[in-house]
Amino acid sequence: MPEIVLKNITKKWGGFTAVENLNLTIEDGAFITLLGPSGCGKTTTLRMIAGLETPTTGEILIDGKTVFSSDKGINISAAKRDVGFLFQNYALWPHMTVYQNIAFGLETLKWKKPDIEKRVAQMLETMQIKQFAQRYPAELSGGQQQRVAIARTLAPKPKVLFMDEPLSNLDAKLRGEMRTELKRLHIDTGSTFVYVTHDQLEAMTMATKICLMKDGVLQQYDAPLDVYALPANRFVADFVGNPTMNFISGKIKLTGEKTAELEALGHSFVFHANEEIKMQNGDVTIGVRPESLPISKKGDISGTTYSTLPAGMETTVRIKVADTILSSVMFGSLDYKVDSEIHFSITGDRILLFSQEGNRAASGSVEKKGE
Amino acid sequence: MNNSQTLTKPQRAFNSFLAYFSKPSNVIVIVSLTILLLCIVYPMYAVLNASLTVGQMDSMMYNSLYGLKLAKGDFTILNFHMLMFGKYSSEYSSSFFWKPLWNSIRMSTYSSLIALILGGMIAWLITRTDIRYKKYISSVFVFPYIMPSWTLALVWKNVFANSRVGTGVTGMLESLTGVCVPSWFVYGIFPCSVVMGIHYAPFAYILIGGILRNMDANLEEAATILKADRWRITRKVTLPIVLPALISTVLLVFSSTMASYAVPVFVGSPGDFYVMSTMLRSLYSSSYSGQSYVMTLVLVLIGILMLTLNQSVIGKRKSFTTVTGKSGQVSFIRLKGNKVLSTVIVVLLFFIAIFPIFSFALESLCGVQGDYSTLTLKYWLSREDLGGFHVAVGKGILFNSEIWGALWGSLKLSIVVSLVVGTLGFLIGYGVSKNRGSKLATLLSNVAFFPYLIPSMAFGSIFLAVSTKLLFLRGTFFLLVLVASIKYLPFASRSGTSAMMQLSGEIEEAAVIVGAPWIVRMTRILFPIQKSSFISGYLLPFVSCIRELSLFVLLTSSGTLITTLLSYFDERNVVQMSNGINLLIIIVVLIVNFTTNKLTGASIDKGIGGN
Repeated sequence: MPEIVLKNITKKWGGFTAVENLNLTIEDGAFITLLGPSGCGKTTTLRMIAGLETPTTGEILIDGKTVFSSDKGINISAAKRDVGFLFQNYALWPHMTVYQNIAFGLETLKWKKPDIEKRVAQMLETMQIKQFAQRYPAELSGGQQQRVAIARTLAPKPKVLFMDEPLSNLDAKLRGEMRTELKRLHIDTGSTFVYVTHDQLEAMTMATKICLMKDGVLQQYDAPLDVYALPANRFVADFVGNPTMNFISGKIKLTGEKTAELEALGHSFVFHANEEIKMQNGDVTIGVRPESLPISKKGDISGTTYSTLPAGMETTVRIKVADTILSSVMFGSLDYKVDSEIHFSITGDRILLFSQEGNRAASGSVEKKGE
Repeated sequence: MNNSQTLTKPQRAFNSFLAYFSKPSNVIVIVSLTILLLCIVYPMYAVLNASLTVGQMDSMMYNSLYGLKLAKGDFTILNFHMLMFGKYSSEYSSSFFWKPLWNSIRMSTYSSLIALILGGMIAWLITRTDIRYKKYISSVFVFPYIMPSWTLALVWKNVFANSRVGTGVTGMLESLTGVCVPSWFVYGIFPCSVVMGIHYAPFAYILIGGILRNMDANLEEAATILKADRWRITRKVTLPIVLPALISTVLLVFSSTMASYAVPVFVGSPGDFYVMSTMLRSLYSSSYSGQSYVMTLVLVLIGILMLTLNQSVIGKRKSFTTVTGKSGQVSFIRLKGNKVLSTVIVVLLFFIAIFPIFSFALESLCGVQGDYSTLTLKYWLSREDLGGFHVAVGKGILFNSEIWGALWGSLKLSIVVSLVVGTLGFLIGYGVSKNRGSKLATLLSNVAFFPYLIPSMAFGSIFLAVSTKLLFLRGTFFLLVLVASIKYLPFASRSGTSAMMQLSGEIEEAAVIVGAPWIVRMTRILFPIQKSSFISGYLLPFVSCIRELSLFVLLTSSGTLITTLLSYFDERNVVQMSNGINLLIIIVVLIVNFTTNKLTGASIDKGIGGN
């Protein structure tokens, strides 16, 4: 079964480097998302694996077979890589009916006619688009087109399925439904899915592993919850999570291998790291997820409410402390009066320290020092 | 109190009338539709009327043959009877009508196929393969379309004419190698089709290339992923998607060639090859005006048939889905023998695009036609009258006041026409896009395209018929402006509409909100945003007008315009003068085209509707 390996993949357009020295192993049966802001090289990466784009240097293996190698001069065409590809704009052929669109790939593979009919009928059934078989794409809604595109891609039973922001043209509700269905499809087909998105929520909720990229460089490649809890650097920490992580600047003084003193928000803290702290004394950025800043009357830090955003299930409270504005997320609908005094604390053992270069130096818990 | 209850019905109707016409876009739609309908419906009536009327020679012919007493201007159906149905003899009908018609159809079919194959091939090479010198190829390839259509016809004559055919002028090929090509190669349907095919190939290239370039690359990639090979993708995906454009191109080129007059006159008539347009002209100039209008009517009907076919080809059901997405670069196909092919194309392009210019220069310098040992500058520089056997040649081109006068006349006409047409196209685009979907707007855009389908020759002859009714128009500059403006409106309104359609309504609404009056919105907001498209709407009519012959040849005397003067010299075989004048026209057109392009980004491509 297929495993995809990328070795030192670099892609340049003239002077611009789209992807730089990317190394990646996609395990068989995984659901990988390539995540990052627009222009980070995620689509280019996907297209290179699929064979729609030629890397400048490097090597790609699918199922142990070299499909691209700049050294050996190998470049197997997309048609021979045995993959499926779902395009952002669906790319349905406007001159073919839904049936013809789905059947095209099977005809290319020289399936027998009854087999084609059977398989197309099956796909139409699965995607619940049976009644549209004889329609042209122009006569379908966005969601229906999306289903046809999925049916067309899955019909030849590809072992690997690439998807390039397939849900970005759908409305919010439909997108939610399709996410569930794609995740279900991944389990039902047992194929390897590689999924490009700029939506961190989509990546978090669907993937078995996230590959986060920025400016063509891989930032972190981990399971979603690991990326969330232990981001490799400030960029990742900032990109994943909504509301975003609080970054508090302060000073650090190491007092042991795993302990340090922190000065921030006008207070002094003791930091207990989970592992060795990989930085020196001086400036530090403390990363705190909004859920690690619970508001309570017993809280040992005080601030004023800047704004409250109740969303029903949870409430985001923006707290002003000295010159910094922090976000706190509380369960339930709470409403605080703006500009009133409020108390909160920093809890949990997932408080992060970032060095000046932006790399994660440690994770751990903080304790406010008594006055 | 509800206000509407206090109004009477007529008051309410008046208010809604005011409300409708307070929108400039509605005024534009109504006004331009009215004018266009007048300029199309009335002339059509005039032609039908003229085809049922006897002309000077018609009446003499009918009277002497059938002992009738018809006078010029009387009603008759004999024109049809004689010309089409063999009243006098089937030979007469055949040689004056059916044979030219058949020739026209054959010539148009061949040249539209040649244009399609050449243009389509270049479009495919440029957009889908890694052919070399793309920039050179794509900019030089449109030369033949920018230059007058007879340019290549003249070059053809300059190169291939020889002492054994026609007037016996020695061409370049003969003087350099001594080879005499056979007559069918020099005059007749072969050179006509080839020359016209090459002339319209850029047109096909612009239309097809535009579609190929804008076609979502994902559509082809989706097929690649499903393991279809190149050939299957081309056959099953690319071709069907561009098919409407291909058919449309064929029909448009077909109508254009059907109409063209200059090429068959230059390389057809000397070989006794007559088509509808040349026969129409010769019937008309020998005063068989009734019969010539029968031919006009037939040409118009063919044009209408083409439009109907074109409309039915562009079905709605399979139209493109407009889901936006990133259209990545298509990976280019690696050509085998790229080097050889690119070189061959570059060389061929040199011959059809650059070489004509040299050829004209050279021919205009020959003291004795085709004899390159007699080079002289006298046809350019002589301040003396050059004389001539049976023609008044006048002074050398640079000092010939008649030539400069005609050039100025052409320039003046082209500038006025381009201003009128460009502005109208812009306004019609605005009116249509603001009222998109409404029946009136659809009608307007169809009516504005209608003149394209009427062959230039027929168009000229229609307005000649009009001017015999409305005498104050006859032979005036205004008549020329009117004819050319209507004739060139189709592409200007098409490109204006497509440019306007690309602008979202909010852009103008944002200006309405801040209280900008209509004229300010047009000149400060809408025009500048799509500047290069709109200026292209001015450029194309200019270029078309300055190189136009067939439209004007019936309407004006030979000295008024540079093209009619050129035709005058050519018909009288003063090769040096016609070549020199041709060079002059090409230089003017190229200069205007390239300065406009460099200054504003406007281009002929955009004027046609490609991008």
